[in-house]
Amino acid sequence: MTDGDYDYLIKLLALGDSGVGKTTFLYRYTDNKFNPKFITTVGIDFREKRVVYSTRSPNGSPGKAFKVHLQLWDTAGQERFRSLTTAFFRDAMGFLLMFDLTSQQSFLNVRNWMSQLQANAYCENPDIVLIGNKADLSDQREVNERQAKDLADKYGIPYLETSAATGQAVEQAVGALLDLVMKRMEQCVDKAPGAANGAGTAGPEPPAPRGARCAC
Amino acid sequence: MTSDLNLNFLKELEREAVLEVLYRDQAMRKIEEERVRKLKMQLQQLRWKGTRSVSHEYQERSCARCHRPLGLLLNRGAVCNGCSHRVCSECRVCLNPCLWKCTACYAHGDVKIKAGEWFFEERAKKYPNEGRHETVGAKLLKSYQKLSEYSMCSYFWTLHLQELCQTKSFNKSVENLFLSLTTHMKKISKSQNDMADRSHLTTDYGQHVEKRKERRSQSDTAINITSRVSKSLYSVSGTVRSVWGMQSLSSSHFLCSLNSTCTEYGNFGKANVTGEIEFAIRYIFKACVLEISIRGCKNLAYGEEKKKKCNPYVKVYLLPDKSPRSKRKTAVKKSTVDPEFHETLKYKVEYPQLGSRQLQVSVWHAGALKTRVFLGEVVVPLAAWNFEDRSAESFSWYPLKAKVTLGFCHSSKLLVSARLSVPAQDKNFQLEKQMREGPSLQIDDLAVLYLFWGSCLILPDQTEMKQRSPVLKKEVCPRWKHLFVFGDVSPARLQQSCLHLTVWDQASLGASDRFLGGAALGAKESFGLRDPGSEALLQWQKVLSSPNTWTDLSLVLHPNKERFKS
Ligand SMILES: Nc1nc2c(ncn2[C@@H]2O[C@H](COP(=O)(O)OP(=O)(O)OP(=O)(O)O)[C@@H](O)[C@H]2O)c(=O)[nH]1
Ligand SMILES: [Mg+2]
Ligand SMILES: [Zn+2]
Ligand SMILES: [Zn+2]
Repeated sequence: MTDGDYDYLIKLLALGDSGVGKTTFLYRYTDNKFNPKFITTVGIDFREKRVVYSTRSPNGSPGKAFKVHLQLWDTAGQERFRSLTTAFFRDAMGFLLMFDLTSQQSFLNVRNWMSQLQANAYCENPDIVLIGNKADLSDQREVNERQAKDLADKYGIPYLETSAATGQAVEQAVGALLDLVMKRMEQCVDKAPGAANGAGTAGPEPPAPRGARCAC
Repeated sequence: MTSDLNLNFLKELEREAVLEVLYRDQAMRKIEEERVRKLKMQLQQLRWKGTRSVSHEYQERSCARCHRPLGLLLNRGAVCNGCSHRVCSECRVCLNPCLWKCTACYAHGDVKIKAGEWFFEERAKKYPNEGRHETVGAKLLKSYQKLSEYSMCSYFWTLHLQELCQTKSFNKSVENLFLSLTTHMKKISKSQNDMADRSHLTTDYGQHVEKRKERRSQSDTAINITSRVSKSLYSVSGTVRSVWGMQSLSSSHFLCSLNSTCTEYGNFGKANVTGEIEFAIRYIFKACVLEISIRGCKNLAYGEEKKKKCNPYVKVYLLPDKSPRSKRKTAVKKSTVDPEFHETLKYKVEYPQLGSRQLQVSVWHAGALKTRVFLGEVVVPLAAWNFEDRSAESFSWYPLKAKVTLGFCHSSKLLVSARLSVPAQDKNFQLEKQMREGPSLQIDDLAVLYLFWGSCLILPDQTEMKQRSPVLKKEVCPRWKHLFVFGDVSPARLQQSCLHLTVWDQASLGASDRFLGGAALGAKESFGLRDPGSEALLQWQKVLSSPNTWTDLSLVLHPNKERFKS
C-alpha cells in the first residue's frame, strides 16, 4: 500500500489504559470513522497515514510543504502485554498519551505512563501530547479540564480534549504532536557542532570533518 | 533492553496477530530503507561532483559546487564552514538571514533529517549498546524466526474466523459462542497433545479411542450451537472439525480484533477473470535472490462491476509457503483496469529450493473496508524455469486465470510409519481381546505435509472408515505428527483391505477443498487393475507381517483424484 514517495517517515505511538480509546482515536484519525465496538488490542498494531506538512518560516510566511508518512503505533493498554508494548516505545518519535475523561482511574494512571515513557522512550524527555478522550460524553465526565491542564503543565506538554466519536480535536492532537516532533528534528540538526555561531566565513573552529554540516 | 523480549508469552493466535503486524511493519521498513538508500545515493553524487573541483581550486578560483569562476574583488565567493570549500553566492542555501550552507552541506543535513538519522543519533545517546538502526519489531521477528523451527498453529483457523468476524451479524451472542468454543478447543487440544505421545498410546490405545470420541462430541456440540446461532457461521462446522489440533485461543475480543490487523484474509469477493499481466522473473545467483518485476496489467475485470471500480494490486506467493513470510505485494493503483506497477518483488531463496516452488502471482482489487476481490492469477512452476538462460528473464504477458488447482510435485514422497498393534498381554485372551478392541493401524510422522490429510480404510465389504487430520499451516516441508488410528479391524480383514491417504488444501468458506495428491496402500484392486507385485501391496504386507513394530513406508503421491476414496 505504501510507496517510498514521501519526505519524512514519522513514527508516533499511542499509549494509555485499556479502553480509553486509543484504537478508536487512531481509526478516526486515519479513516475518519468511528467504531463504537470495543475490540481490545492484542499486543501492538499500527496504522498509516500520509499527510502534507507545511513549515512556517520565522516571519510567518508559509514555507515548504513536505510529504510526511505517519506510522501510528497502537498499543494494548492491558497489563498482560506491557513488556511487549513498552518495548516499542523506543522506536517512536512522539507519543499520544491518552486517558478517558469519563474515568478518573485512567487519568490517575497517566503518571505511571509518564514514567514508563521516561524509562523506555528514545530519550528522557520525548515529545508527548496529553489527550483527554471521550469529550462527547460530557454527562459522564469524571476529570475536569483544569485538573488535566495542570498536570500537562507540570510536565510541560500540550493538553487537548478530543472525541473519537465526533472527531473533535483529533486532527489537532496529532498535528500538535507532529509539530513538536518536526521542531525537534530541526533543532537536533541545527544544534550540531558549528551551527551556533552565525554567518560569514570560517569561524574559529577548524573546518568540520566530512560528517558535520555548515555553519556559515 | 529488549534482548530477552520474545513472543513466547503470547497465546498462539495472539502471536499470529502480532506477527502479522510485525510483517506489515517489515514491509514498511523495506520501503523506508530503499527510500533512504536513494537519498544517500543522490547525496553521494552531489558530493562527488564537488570534489572533482578540488584540483582546480589552486589553478583558478572557482565555486566548488558549480565550478563557475570566482573573482578577486567582485563575486569572491565565501568558504563554507561545513566543507571548507569556497562557493559562489548562488550555491548557498540560506537557513536564516545570518546562516547559510553550501548546497552539498545543506543536502547532507537534509538527508540526515529525512532519513531519520537525527532520531537514531539521539537514541544512541540513551542506548549506546543497542543496534543503531534496529527496531524492536525487526528484532522480535528475527528472534522469532530463529526460534520457531515449526510451530503448530493454524493459519486457516485465523482465516475462517477472520471472515466470520467481518460478517455483519457478528454480535454479542456470537462472541459468547466463540468463548464457549474456545473452552472446547482448549480441552480438545489437550487430548491432541496426548495423542502425540506414542508410548502412551501403544500401551492403552483403548483409552485413547475413548478420548477421541469425547473430542468429537465436544466439537460437535459446538458446531450445533454454531449453526443455531447464525447462518453466517454455518460453515464454521467444517473448520471446527479440522482444527482440533490447535493450541489455544484467548478471547472473543481477540478474535475480532484480527480484522483490523490481518488485511490478508479480508472479505473476498469474486469478479470475472479477464486480462493479462506482464512480469519478468530472474534469479540472481550471487545474492540468492529471486526477483519478480511486475510491470502492469491490461483489461482487468472491474473489482466492483456495478460501480465500474477497480483498484488493482498484485500479490505474490512463493508456494507452497503461504505464510506472510512468503507474501509480497505491490502498491495499489487507483481506478484503473490497466495498471502499471513497475515494482520488483524479491525473495531471498536458495537456488536448489526453487525446483519445488511455484510462483503464484495474483491480482486483487482493494475495495472499501478491506474488501478484496480476486481478479485472476498466474501460477508459474519454477521447476521448469531456466534461470541460467538470460532470455528467460525478459518481460512476458501472461493471461490471468481463475484459481488454479495447486499442483503437487509428482515426485513428492510421503513418509509414513505404520504398524499393526495386536494387544497380547495374555495369549489365551488374545482372540477375544482382538474382537473387542481390534488391532489398530497407526500412522505417524508424515514428513511431507500439505494442510490436511484424509485417510480412508476400505474394508473387503466396501465399508469405508474415514478420518481426517487437523489442518496445519502451509509450510514447505514441515514435520507432521499425526496419528490415524483405525480400530475394530481384524488382521485377516486388513489383509483384504486398502488404505487411501490423500492430501488436501483446505479451501476458504464456500469452496470445496483442493485435492493435492494421494497414495494407496493395500491389497485391494484399488485402481481397477490388480497388481499383486505392486509397491502398495508389498508395503502393506510388510506392515501386517510385523505386528507391534513401526514400519517406515515411503509412498509416492499420485495426482489423480479419481483413484482415491476420500
Ligand atoms: N463515546 C465515545 N466512545 C469512545 C470514544 N473513543 C473510544 N470510545 C469507545 O471506547 C471503547 C474503547 O475504545 P478502544 O479504542 O478500543 O480502546 P483502547 O484504548 O484501544 O483499548 P485497548 O486496546 O484495550 O488498550 C470503544 O467501545 C470505543 O467505541 C469517544 O471519543 N467517545
Ligand atoms: Mg486498542
Ligand atoms: Zn556555485
Ligand atoms: Zn559546505
